[in-house]
Parts: sequence; structure tokens; C-alpha cells
Amino acid sequence: MCLVGFSQTSGSFRQANHLYNSGYYKEAIEGYTSILEANQHSAELYYNLANCHYKLNEIGPSIFYYEKALQLSPDDPDILNNLGYAQKMTIDVIQEVPKGSVWKFFNKILNSLSVDGWATRSVGLVFLFVILFLGYYLSRSEAKKRLYFVSSSLVLILLLTSLVLLFKKDRLDQSVHPAIVFARETEVKTEPNLRAETSFILHEGTKVLVIETYNSDWSEIKLLNGETGWMPNSELKALK
Amino acid sequence: MKRNILLVTFILSGFLSAQVSFDAKVSKKQLGINERLRVDFTMNTDGDNFEPPSFENFTVVGGPSQSINNSWINGVRSFSKSYSYFLAPKKRGEFTIGQASIEIDGETYKTLPIKITITAAIDKPKDPNDPDYIASEKVHLVAEISNTKPYLNEAITVVYKLYVAQNTGVRNWREIDSPRYSDFWSQNIDVKSMNVQEGTYKGEDYRYVVLRKTVLYPQKTGKLTIEPLSLDVTIEVPSQRRDVFGRSFMSTVNRTVASRNRTITVKPLPENGKPEDFSGAVGSFNFNVTTNKQSLKATEALELKVSVSGKGNLKLFRLPKLVLPSALEVYEPEHSEKVNTKAAGMQGSISDTYTVVPNYQGSYPIPNVSFSYFDLKTKRYKTLNSERLIIEVNEGPVGASNPNNNTTGGIAENVITPYLNQFSSFKTTTNFKPIHSKPFFNSNLFWLLLLTPFLLIPFTIFMVRNRMTRALDVSGNKIRKTNRLARKYLSTAKKSLGQKEQFYNALERALHNYLKSKLRLETSEFNKEKIEAVLGTKNVNRANLDGFISLLTSCELARYTPLSVVDMQNDYDKAATVINALDKQIK
Repeated sequence: MCLVGFSQTSGSFRQANHLYNSGYYKEAIEGYTSILEANQHSAELYYNLANCHYKLNEIGPSIFYYEKALQLSPDDPDILNNLGYAQKMTIDVIQEVPKGSVWKFFNKILNSLSVDGWATRSVGLVFLFVILFLGYYLSRSEAKKRLYFVSSSLVLILLLTSLVLLFKKDRLDQSVHPAIVFARETEVKTEPNLRAETSFILHEGTKVLVIETYNSDWSEIKLLNGETGWMPNSELKALK
Repeated sequence: MKRNILLVTFILSGFLSAQVSFDAKVSKKQLGINERLRVDFTMNTDGDNFEPPSFENFTVVGGPSQSINNSWINGVRSFSKSYSYFLAPKKRGEFTIGQASIEIDGETYKTLPIKITITAAIDKPKDPNDPDYIASEKVHLVAEISNTKPYLNEAITVVYKLYVAQNTGVRNWREIDSPRYSDFWSQNIDVKSMNVQEGTYKGEDYRYVVLRKTVLYPQKTGKLTIEPLSLDVTIEVPSQRRDVFGRSFMSTVNRTVASRNRTITVKPLPENGKPEDFSGAVGSFNFNVTTNKQSLKATEALELKVSVSGKGNLKLFRLPKLVLPSALEVYEPEHSEKVNTKAAGMQGSISDTYTVVPNYQGSYPIPNVSFSYFDLKTKRYKTLNSERLIIEVNEGPVGASNPNNNTTGGIAENVITPYLNQFSSFKTTTNFKPIHSKPFFNSNLFWLLLLTPFLLIPFTIFMVRNRMTRALDVSGNKIRKTNRLARKYLSTAKKSLGQKEQFYNALERALHNYLKSKLRLETSEFNKEKIEAVLGTKNVNRANLDGFISLLTSCELARYTPLSVVDMQNDYDKAATVINALDKQIK
């Protein structure tokens, strides 16, 4: 059953790719979306879907699906490259609050793997550590013992770092809910109602972080430069 | 006569200790520019060398006229003498009538200065005894307004016409007060040639000249007043006197004519259906956003033009702003107006030209812009949308991306951007995963895999320790060794303990096997003598040798004698000890 489903989805993936290649982007989008509706996904699927939207000059969906693709495969150069293209179409310029280089370095490492990536890496390091430690314990000769000791301590340090990063990453993923603005232009209010004053205006394709929601139709959002405000849920699409 | 009075005054002045007074009086302190003013300088004692003030800002229309009033009442004499002037103001504003001076009894007296306020022309000259009354009946200045109930920002035209009756003439005129259209945007339209035209004014035949045309755009709603225009006109009026031929002499009169104050009611634009982006444009317009290039290389310049053309208040609203992708470098727009103002209002086009320089390649959609205006013909708001433009930048650096892709967020940090040269194409292969797959982190399997390896460490340590203690324990080791040897060779025998034949067969085989492996004897060499000889050379002591031989013997005997289980057990134990003992001695 599962196998049948799999071959079906890969068949429609090939078909949608064919449509894409022939320039029928709208039809290709339908094809890709049908795979999503069958509860199957992959970084490549999101990437191709985003490319279709980009070709149709649909800024919001294009950026949305590139970001989705990056969630599954954070380092893919093609995705990063095309996301850069899509971001050139956006209107808002949001200057990020400058961060120290140490923070940047830490963040870069943190985001190089997904939560499950860090989890598998940690498990792998545990096994490696145990083997090296036993090697140290069991080996008789002085030279071997020294070698095993040094390498196992190194692996232990790596393991601890990886665990710290794993929990940090998990907490970050739990607390941060990025979303993409889908409305062509939207007013961000100071309070969650339409009468409130407008604090600023956002345009399609801008990435925001959702802090909290109110009555399930308003979201408090935060920009990368630290500004906050409320906007209707319907004009956003959450990445998670 | 004057001299006599002087003389009398001179004589009487000795008797009367009268206070000398000399003051100035005006008929009114505030007057319209088309009215006149009378100033009297009055003294109660006659004096010499009267000097009037300069009367700048006024025209002296009449005077000075002198009058003397001398009366005796109940033996008391009262005297007054005054100099009167009739003044016409030259312009609006606040002016001062300066001091007049006179010498009385050798002393100089001066009047106080008086402030006069001159306002805009007043509709009806308040002075009914105007000498040029006829002129006022023959010359009229009229302001004609095209529409007295316009919408806010709808153009109206004011035309000033000077009507002159048939038998009078106008020699020249001078504008003394032009209206200030404070609540309007206004523009005068030059009247190039003044053609005298025939027309009627209140049913009578008149000639008229269009003096001035002004286009007004009301900037406020409600009742607004259009201030009158005032002219100083030199008019020729037929007088009563006639010449020999019976033609009347023309007498010349200077007169100020003013149009009447006009009030218009400005209607506000309807609130109903007012678009959000409405910026006050009223009229009928076309709206366009155009570009001079659709595709270009990076760092080349491109012009984007937002233009509105048509009829209406073109200079009075703002063009909608273009919102462009942030990756484009955009300079401040250059505004240009090509507007002609005619009597019907403004006409032409206004435009904003943006210079855009794309720095990186890519495709840049320009979002469509909307422009709304109030259409006077349909009395409705109309919204025009520009077409969506897409600018393709083909060649050039790919360059840094948007700063906003630096994410603090949980998912992706896109700083590491190994930019490729172009937009990458689709990917052909993929591995699908279910969207809602359970996360590995925090699953039971995760914790199991993370923690169980650590259990291996104490387990191994325990095992190693155990082995070491055993190695140290000597006697225990011996027993264990015996057991091990017995296990190795006697296991089949032990299994068949109780079944005589099988047991002894197995026991014999076990003994032979032992010798085979220890002494490297061949099966063919098995006989007691040979065994004895070999074992003898291996320093095996007598007792063990005998024990071994007796075991072999009992194995042979057992085939023919009945034996109990106890005997078998004894033989088994014996075999175990003998093998053990031999093993120790055979090196």
C-alpha cells in the first residue's frame, strides 16, 4: 500500500517536472500541490514549487516555499540562491539589528542542522565515545591508551556541545514561529483591531516572526529589526 | 474783512482768557476704498500760517474750504474757524493723517494724528450726496461666476466685465484693489485684446469690456466670498451745458467702481464610496505607468514614468507613489507639469519620472499602482489601475541578497549564500517523506540510543574486573580448570551416566581423546603398554599412571560385569581427577 502510494507520488513529481520544463507553471503547481495533499513532502518538492511561483512572479508563495525547502535542507546552495532571487522582488527593507560576530558564528552552527539532525549526530557521537572509551580502558600499551584517551575526550566535548545545541535548537524551534506576509500590502496595527493606529506597512514576501495570536485571527508579529505590531492572520502564512 | 476780524480778535483777546484749541476731526475712522472722508481742522481762535498735513495715501478731492463761525449768545462770544478737506483713499490698509499746524499769538499749535483704516470696497457707497452720482448710474463693474455651487476642487471661472452706458465714455482706468482669493487656488488668464462688445445690463443696452478672467479652484467647503474688484475709472459724463450745436459738453469724473461681493457655496465631495487612496483629484483623467525599457543589464538606468493626463485640478493633487522592490536603487522622482490653464480650467498632464538602477540580475515585478479621482460628469469616484510591469535584468552581478534574509528565526540562516550565477532550475529527483513524520528527537528510540551505550561502560568494566579477580584466585582456578577439562572430555559420558554400555564407551573414548590431543598418539597405537611407556617418559607419577590404566581396564571390564549407578559415578569422578592430574604433569 505504502509502496503504491510512493510510486504514485514520484510519478506525479516527474509529471509536474515535465510541465515545469515545458513552461506550464500553473499546471506544475497543481501537480506539486497534489503531492503535498497526499501528505508527502521533500526539500526538492518545495523548491520546485517555489520556482514555479517565482516564474509566475508570485512573491509571497515563492518565498514561502523556499523557506519550507530550507527547513528540510538548510544548506542547499540552489535553494539559497533562488531564495536570494525571490527576495529581490520584495519591497520591504528590514535592517536587522546588528549582532556580534560570536553570536553570528554560534547561530550559523546552530542552524546548520535541523533538530533531528542534531539528535542523530548526538546519538552517533555517544556510540563513538563509548567505543573509544572502552578502547582506552581495554588497551594495554601506553601509546594506545594515550591515543584513545585524547580522542575519546575530544568526542565527549563534541557530544556535549552537540547536546547543548540540540536542546537550544529545539527550544528555539518551539519559541519561534516564522511566517511570510502573503497580502500585497498590509497595515500593521498597534492593537489587535481595525480601529487601532497603523504603526507600519508591510508588503508581500516579508518574513516576520509570530510572537502570539489573539482570538485566532490576529497575530502579534516581530520584525527582524525588533519592531512589533498586530496584523490579521489571514494576511500571513505560518511556516510551521 | 479778514483784517477787521483779526483786529477785533486782537482787541478782545485781552479780555477773554479763553483756552486756545486746535483739533482735527474726521467724518469716520473706518471706510471702504470706494468711499470718501472729510477732515476738519477746527480752532477757536484765529491763527496764521495754517499748514495742512501731507495726506499721503489719499487723494484730495475737495478743499481746502474755510468756514468761520462767529456768534454772540448772552453776551458770550464764541468763535470757530475750520479748514475742511475731502479725501479719497488710494489703497487699502491703515494710514495716519498727520499733524496740521497753525500759529496763534505767536505760538505754534498742532493737531493730534488720526488713524484711518481703509477696508475693501463697500457695496454701496455710504455717501448719497456723491457728486458724480450720474456716473455711478452709467458705469458698472460686474463679476460673472460660471458656477455658484461647485464641488470642492471643481474649477469655476470669474469674469470681470465693465459695463458702460451708451452715452458715456471711459477714458482710462486703474486697478486700485484686486481681490485676494484666500480660500481658492487661482490663476488669472490674460485677456489679450480688449474688444468692446455690445450687451445688456438690467435690460438696457450697454457696451462692455472683459477686463479680467480668473480660474478658481475652491479649497474649502461651505460659503466662500469672492472679494470685489475695485477700479478707479475716469468717466466722461454728458453735462447739462450744451454747445452751439446742441451737443452736451462732456464733463470728466473720477470714480471708484467695484463689483459686488459674491458668495458661492462649495459642496464637499461625497464621502460615500471614497477610495482610500483618493488624493483630491477632481476632473476626468487618464492614468499610466510606463517604462522605457522592459529588459536591461544591471547598472543601466531605467525610467519609470507615472503620469496623469486630462482635465481637472492637475496641479492640486499628488501623484501616487511607486512602491518598488527594495533591491532596486531608486532616485527621487522628477516632477514635471505640462498644464495649460484656460477659462474652463486646467488641462494637460503631470508626471513623476523615477530613475531606477537595478544592481543585480533578476526579475523585478513593479506592483500596480492605483489612482482615484472624482469624476464630475458622473459624480462618482473612479479608480484607475496601472498595468503590472516586470523588469527583467539579464546581465550583471548576482550579488548580495536582501538584508532581511538574515534570520534570527529557527529555520534557516541564509547568510551563507554561495550565489550561483543564475537562477537555478528545478530538481529532478527527490525522496519523499510523510509530512507529519514523528520527530526523532525526544522519541523513546532517541533516549534509548543516547543512554544505553553508556551502560556498556560499567558492564565492560565489571566483566574485566571479574576476569582479573579470577586470574588471581589460584586454587579456585585449579578447580575451575579441572571442571573445564572434565566438561571438555567427559561431557558425553556424563550425559549417559546410568546406562552402562554407553557410559563406558563414552568414558573410554574420552580417555583416548584426551591422550590423542595431549600426547599426539594415533588410535592404532592404543594399548596399555604403549600408554604406560609414553606417560612414563612424561614424568607422570606412578599413582596417576595406575589410576589411568585402571580406568581403562575398568572400561573394558564393565562390558562384562554388572555395575551400579554409584560405581559409574565413582568412575566418572575418578576419570575427572586423573585427567586433571595428568594434565598438570604433562607439559
